[in-house]
Amino acid sequence: MNNKPVIQLKGVARDFFDGKQKRRVLEKTDIEIYPKELTILSGPSGSGKTTLLTIMALILSPSEGSVIIKGEDVTDLPENKLATLRLKNYGFVFQNAALISALTVMENILIASTVQGGSVSKLLHQRAEDILKRLGMFEYANIKSEKLSGGQKQRVAIGRSLINDPAIILCDEPTASLDVESSTIVLETLKGLSEEGRSVVLVTHDPRVFPYGDRLVQIEDGKISSDTGSQIND
Amino acid sequence: MRRSASLKMLFHERATALGSIAGVVAIIFLVGQQLAILFGLLSYMSFLVDNSGADIWIKTQNTNNFNASGTIPMSYRDRVMGVEGIEWAEPVVIGAGLVKLKNGNFQAAQIFGTRRPHLVGGPTRFYQGSIDGLLDGEGVTVDKLDLATLDFPKIGDIFEINNKRARVTAITQGMQGFSGFILYTNIEKARELVSMSTDRCSNVLIKVKDGTKIEEMRLLLQQILPKAEVIATPKLSKQTRLYYLQNTGIGSSFGLTTIIATIVGVVVISLTMYTNVLNKTKDYAVLRALGARKIDVLYIVFLQAMYIAIIGIFVGFTLLSMFLFFTKDSGLPSYLPWWMPIVHALGTILLCILGSTIAMRRAVSIEPATAFR
Repeated sequence: MNNKPVIQLKGVARDFFDGKQKRRVLEKTDIEIYPKELTILSGPSGSGKTTLLTIMALILSPSEGSVIIKGEDVTDLPENKLATLRLKNYGFVFQNAALISALTVMENILIASTVQGGSVSKLLHQRAEDILKRLGMFEYANIKSEKLSGGQKQRVAIGRSLINDPAIILCDEPTASLDVESSTIVLETLKGLSEEGRSVVLVTHDPRVFPYGDRLVQIEDGKISSDTGSQIND
Repeated sequence: MRRSASLKMLFHERATALGSIAGVVAIIFLVGQQLAILFGLLSYMSFLVDNSGADIWIKTQNTNNFNASGTIPMSYRDRVMGVEGIEWAEPVVIGAGLVKLKNGNFQAAQIFGTRRPHLVGGPTRFYQGSIDGLLDGEGVTVDKLDLATLDFPKIGDIFEINNKRARVTAITQGMQGFSGFILYTNIEKARELVSMSTDRCSNVLIKVKDGTKIEEMRLLLQQILPKAEVIATPKLSKQTRLYYLQNTGIGSSFGLTTIIATIVGVVVISLTMYTNVLNKTKDYAVLRALGARKIDVLYIVFLQAMYIAIIGIFVGFTLLSMFLFFTKDSGLPSYLPWWMPIVHALGTILLCILGSTIAMRRAVSIEPATAFR
């Protein structure tokens, strides 16, 4: 391997309590995520892929096992420190973009950098403009995000994920409900981001996405059923 | 950035935002106008005391408001007049009168007689005529606000008060009392109207010289006049107001209305802000996922509460000012002391924060994982 993993999950499992009994939705799992790699987590609905993604995202804490980010064990860090870690190291692209509809395109991008406080510097604003230009969305900077099409919203969501220059970008069904053309633009953009050196992890059950991945991890019944392994880092 | 985002997220749900603002406006306006009327009535209750210009009042003992005072000997005035430190001591006559109108009806009035030529405690604001009208032997004043009640008398018109003749010699402006309207006159005419002998008066009003301590003078006068009550003007004013508040049900009535208006306002703020947060659950979850801590989400909702408070206070006080402006010269008592709007605004901000606590609790409880659902 020529790269160290940015995310390491060691023996990670997750239980949920449904009000009557404890149910294990993710069996003990070991997985490492590397830079410069687009990893696809795929599987049927309820297989545990989003649970795995949210554990990687430091949003859900594992019931067992440990989460290591850039070599540091963060499993038992308090909630506030995990939030700051997310802010500095992660970018998120949610299903249906999940932009804040009250804000403009530019504000949606800037809020991701200032959500813990602080003002918008000229440098930050310039960076947001550059990102929007790169994604072909600059002319929409001052438009309310709710007025954009699905594909445009997802491109803005990618822009939002990039504002803090994160090492890791986590995507949850980013092409769901997008047409083929929009899906292609989104996937090519994400592929390009992984080639720049970022780790991109993408949850999907859309097989059209698979060709863009460097690694395909299949999850079924809360377990990794197959993993093509790292194509770049092996 | 968070400030503008907070504002935009608030007004993106226009109906709920306006609902919350309406809650604040309700608190400011409804409570404010209730307080204005209450303070207006309070000022009426002790108007003659507050307007007297005296530092100390001498009155009969064992009475808890000046209106219920009996009579005291005129000699009290002579006994205190020579005391070092007194600038003036003037007797006044206060009593009830029944005014017979041109149309044959009767109206209750309060008669206030003051001694010529100083006319201490007499009217200070006039619509027509001047205080010189009281120098006239049978002259009385009526107030502009009472003209309609008194069948529109004019200067020179003759009245029958307690079956005795009186003549309108001036029309005052804003000289309002609590127990019927006030008719000012000179002390001789007042004695005649209320049938008080010349060796009696209702009260003696004392003004102390500059540099004399009022409380020390009060104690000294009390020693000189052990059978009378010597009381400082502010205390008599407060005592009179308290008497009416406790004995007329005005205090509890206004208090209850104020409490109800406050509760309604807080409930409206709570429900609408909570609904706003509920409608924005996904947005807050996304912010949490992006890296917002609970305190950051709390800050955003707190800011929204502040925006609602500020806008609501502005609109509420604008409406309240209009209310005060348009009722200024009406029969409706309305008056707010200068400090009341400040206290009212600060109290409303606190109520707004209180009203937003449910919304805040809801917002911080939103899990970032919700963004993935």
